Amino acid sequence: MANLKQLSHREPKLTGGHRLCPGCGEPIAVRQVLMSTEDPVLVTNATGCLEVSTTIFPYSAWNIPWLHIAFENAAAAASGVEAMYQSLKKQGKIDPDANYRFVAFGGDGGTYDIGLQALSGAVERNHDFLYVCLNNEAYMNTGVQRSSATLKGAHTTTSPAGEVIPGKTQNRKDLTEIMVAHDIPYVAQTIPGRWNDITRKAEKAFSIEGPKFMNVLTPCPLGWGHEGGLTPEISQLAADTCIWPLYEVEYGEYKINYKPKEKKPIEAFLEPQARFRHLFRSDEGAEVRKAVQEWVDWKWETLLKKAGE
Amino acid sequence: MSQQRRKVFISGNEATAEGGIAGGCRHFFGYPITPQNKIPEYMAEELPKIGGVYLQAESEVAAINMVYGAASAGARVMTTSSSPGIALMQEGLSYCLGSELPCVLVNMVRGGPGLGNIGPAQSDYWLATRGCGHGDGRCITLTPYSVQELHDFTAGAFEIADRYRNPVMVLADAILASMMEPCELIPRRDLPAPDRPWAVGPHDPDQRERNIVNSLWVEFDVMEAVSQRLEERYRQAAEEITDWDEFGSDEPQVMICAYGISARICESAVMQANDELGIRTRLIRPKTVFPFPTEPIRSWAERVDAALVVELSMGQFVEDVRLAVEGRCPVDLLGRAGGNVPTVGDVVEKIREAALRAGVARV
Repeated sequence: MANLKQLSHREPKLTGGHRLCPGCGEPIAVRQVLMSTEDPVLVTNATGCLEVSTTIFPYSAWNIPWLHIAFENAAAAASGVEAMYQSLKKQGKIDPDANYRFVAFGGDGGTYDIGLQALSGAVERNHDFLYVCLNNEAYMNTGVQRSSATLKGAHTTTSPAGEVIPGKTQNRKDLTEIMVAHDIPYVAQTIPGRWNDITRKAEKAFSIEGPKFMNVLTPCPLGWGHEGGLTPEISQLAADTCIWPLYEVEYGEYKINYKPKEKKPIEAFLEPQARFRHLFRSDEGAEVRKAVQEWVDWKWETLLKKAGE
Repeated sequence: MSQQRRKVFISGNEATAEGGIAGGCRHFFGYPITPQNKIPEYMAEELPKIGGVYLQAESEVAAINMVYGAASAGARVMTTSSSPGIALMQEGLSYCLGSELPCVLVNMVRGGPGLGNIGPAQSDYWLATRGCGHGDGRCITLTPYSVQELHDFTAGAFEIADRYRNPVMVLADAILASMMEPCELIPRRDLPAPDRPWAVGPHDPDQRERNIVNSLWVEFDVMEAVSQRLEERYRQAAEEITDWDEFGSDEPQVMICAYGISARICESAVMQANDELGIRTRLIRPKTVFPFPTEPIRSWAERVDAALVVELSMGQFVEDVRLAVEGRCPVDLLGRAGGNVPTVGDVVEKIREAALRAGVARV
């Protein structure tokens, strides 16, 4: 595995000068993933903050071939590009030693929701590509609307906390497990706050042939309501509270990569974020927190069992 | 009614949402897309307070099919989106048309094709008046030009949808969606459930036959009969609800045709042309584009020397104007696209050009 010094000497594939918000978790994760390979990379990118903010025409922050496609189609476009590559290789029209890598980026909206069908189809067809979901738990590009990745209790503009509902009323969909159920070679969950975890996982994903999936929790200072400088810490707190366990599943084998010495109560993650503020102001809010804690505990116990621990 | 209206200063998006509520909509299914996010957000906040249902779908495909379900069950139902989202809804919309389901859609048009941009555009004119999925169905299409009209047309769309058992689209744009104006709100009230004896739901088999909502007609003659029934409704709608407004000189030399936000710009241009250039100009502003106000445009075309169409697209609405004019006078086009809008000066200049060519002005 490449060490920090080696990584720092690699040419960045996503450069600075883009217009993502200060403290956004997305470009951090993207750079970490893409610096984990020295092979040439081609990216397909679903509509979302990453796409809009890095490619305001005629400018681009990408140093590599990059293809944008509508919200629901990143995995389908990656399938097409990869199929063409395999075909050209077979026809002898591409250097047989060139080792192109295909990466699709989508947000939680483009992956958990509208793009799930295309993603499921692409991995079932066994395309050789890595899909990276940049999950910031809501539709941030359109103004913080809830998604099926939004944590229960979170205030969003379409699950507004008020007298009628205490924020989002449903639990988050477990997309990582849905991808595990596709029996693909590699599935991982990670955060941008632990560089060695995310780069090691990306490196591993690039070393495996076939469809790979990484789910990265990328804090959004604007939508979550926290200081931009806290992004790594907030994502670390998601791991410390087991709200976002860091684990990987390689050919069906579960491995938990980070087990907090002392599992923190979920409040450690919720409290610094404005989107959960209302949960600390009423008895009803306390009940929601209790329900989320129970859900997190249950998910964590289930994961431990799957990992044989 | 007007005495009871409360005057507020709000955005087009909010006026649209409040118009939906005033029109009796208690079921809203949506999916975020700029520049109309404020509508689903407003509905998410307001509908639960009045016993309504707000559901955010996982895609526009799902949203329009939620509309299909709710409309089949007899609800006054609405969804809103912007161009790329409306494009995704085409299949579901075609099913709504085929199954003759009343529902309301609002399209805050933005620049396209493709991802385009989020600027104002009127380039979904074909999509609204010709598109709406495959097959012989068409959407009744209303074209407001102010925040007030967005509110009123959206509220009124539900009654029209029910009258003709057909989807109604309110066709606006990114400027109307975002701009703020004074607006007199129709008071919210609980309307009786719409009269839909055909709707599905629990029923007593002794009271009525089972209802079937369906768009599958294998027999050619049966399918043709459905198309003929739709066509008859559109003919009836053309007689009953075709609507437009006129503004400017009563003895015009030049006729301007524009709808929506373009018509707002043209109003100022018409005043300038009349007052400053001495070119007698009249604006014909369709408030419905399907059905289309063919008659007034045709009859003014008999009397004017030239016509000018102003629209935020490279030329879609102009086709309907030319079909109405049928060669009675030359029809020029001032089309801007991609989020750009013509200035009043641009329109005046085009009026001058048209008048010069027709030999009715020497300036």
